[in-house]
Formats: sequence, structure tokens, C-alpha cells
Amino acid sequence: MKVLALGIAVVCLVVAILYWIGMLQIGTSEPGPHIKHAAVFFVIGALSMMWFRFQSVRS
Amino acid sequence: MTFLQAMLLAVLQGVSELFPISSLGHTVLLPALLGWKIDRSDPTFLAFVVALHFGTALALVAFYRQDWIRIVRGLFASVVRGRIGDDPDARLGWLLVIGTLPLALAGVFLEKPVRQFFGSPALVAGFLILNACVMFAGERLRRVERGPGSKPPRPLALLSYASGAQIGFSQAFALLPGISRSGASIVAGLLFDLTHEDAARFSFLLATPAIAAASILEIPRLLVPEAHAVLLEALAGGLLAAITAYASVAFLTRYFRSNDLRPFGWYCLIFGTVCLTLALMKAIV
Repeated sequence: MKVLALGIAVVCLVVAILYWIGMLQIGTSEPGPHIKHAAVFFVIGALSMMWFRFQSVRS
Repeated sequence: MTFLQAMLLAVLQGVSELFPISSLGHTVLLPALLGWKIDRSDPTFLAFVVALHFGTALALVAFYRQDWIRIVRGLFASVVRGRIGDDPDARLGWLLVIGTLPLALAGVFLEKPVRQFFGSPALVAGFLILNACVMFAGERLRRVERGPGSKPPRPLALLSYASGAQIGFSQAFALLPGISRSGASIVAGLLFDLTHEDAARFSFLLATPAIAAASILEIPRLLVPEAHAVLLEALAGGLLAAITAYASVAFLTRYFRSNDLRPFGWYCLIFGTVCLTLALMKAIV
């Protein structure tokens, strides 16, 4: 679970950056940076880091 | 949009955002019924809508301020100690976090295409009728499950994280104009054995981060030069939406202590049928 949490966190943070700088356009209607998409993935990434912390303390 | 129209829309937003009758559906149907020519893609209108949502979110935060203080403290404490433990505030906070994620993801990926395809008054009226059916079905299932010898209602504090996620997921159906976010999430809460009061409280708490985040992310729309033309309408509308939303949530939290969703179901059924009939007769477009 720790590996899964860390993996999701890293992937989401990378996806957030790609949306932020406009390199990722999946699920968007127009080209350019997508702040809302980036914000959602950043939040999921941050939550996954918290999940990783919960798993670390438990083990 | 005249000042009077703006204020009527503000009252409509404040009331219908929290009543399980679909604010989005009403903001499509009512202007169509009254023959208002409003361009929904106009930057001034979008800025005005952001102000209304901001007012609604502020009202929810103000009404549940004591709960939110405890929830935020609980969340921070759980992260610091690295476990949620038996802290009911931390548990409720994580339920809200998990419940908010499905709507956030659906919102960013599906909101625009869904509104493009399902924005006509006839479809919105149809979804409003469907919203009524969902509420009636939820109450019916609830009464069957709560028959003699049934298990007692589940307190909100004992709701599982999987159930919280599913209640949150039910909110995503409200991207369809005519389906109520609070209606869907209250029905989902009832199906997970919550009381009406707890289901409504969870629904209103779930609404707060969703509406607040949507408003904050849309703030740039308030800063465009065109928005200055509706500054007065945006300020007055935001304030009016906040006042009516606060009154609505105060009323509904009392209402759901001893009442159910059926009156709202009847309202949606009648209003939806009238609008659908008018739309099919091309009386509203």
C-alpha cells in the first residue's frame, strides 16, 4: 500500500505539472494551460502523500 | 441582464443550490419561461455567476463554521500523528475529502461536454422529472428498509469510507442540469442507512468544498475588464445569494429533522412536467 500511495502521488503531481504548463491536453476542450485540471491532480497527489504517511506510521 | 433580473437570479441560486430541486436546472428553465435573453457564455454573466457561487459558499462556511473548525483541526491532527484513530472530527473530515474527489474529477473532465449536450430546456425538464423519480424511489426504498424489525439508522460518525465515496460519487450526476446535487447525495445517504437529518448535514458539508473550490478556481473570471460592467450586480447578487443560502440551509436542517424529500419530489415532478410540455410545444426554447 505504501508503494501504491507513493506511486499515485508521484503520477498525480507529474500530471498536475503537465496540465499546468499546457503539455497535457487529455479531457480538455481548448489548448493551453489547464489550471483546474492541474489543481485537482495536485490535490489528489497531496492526499496520496498523506495516505503514504498514514501507511508509514502504521508500519 | 437588468439589475432586477440579476437579483432574482441571486435569490434563485441561494435557494435552489441547497434545496434538492437543481439550481442549474432552474437557472436554465426560469429565464426560458420568463423570456429573458441571457447569453450564458458572456464574460459578464460568467463573472456574475462566480459571485453568486462565492456568496453561497460563504453562507455554508458561516452556517457550519463550528463544524468546519473542528473538522479542519481534526484533519491536521490526523496528518501530524499519522493516523485517524477514533477522532470523530478527523473521520468526518476524511469522509468529506473522499466524498469530494469524485465530483472534482467529474467536474473538470465532464462539465463542459455535459452542459453542451444537455442544455436544452426540454432535456433539463426531463432531468428534473428524473430527479423527482430518484427522490420518490429513495424514500420508497427507505420506508421498505425501515419497516418493522429493521436495524436502527446508522450515525454519520459510523459511515464507512467506501459509503462516503459512493455518496460523493452520486453528486457527480448533478452535472446533468435538472439533477440536484443535494437531492442525489441525500438519497444516497438514506440508502446507506443515515437519517434524513444526517444525510442532509453530510450533503451540505460536502457541498461546501465543491462550491468553494469551483468559485476560487473561477475567480479570474471576476478580474477580466468586462466583469467591471457588472460589479454592482455581482456584489449585490453575491450578498443576496449568501443571505438566501444561509436562510435555506437553516430551514432545511430543521426541516429534515422530521420530514422527508417527497414534497421536493412533487415540486420537481410538477414543474418539470409543465416545462417539458411547454418545451415540446415550442413555447419555451
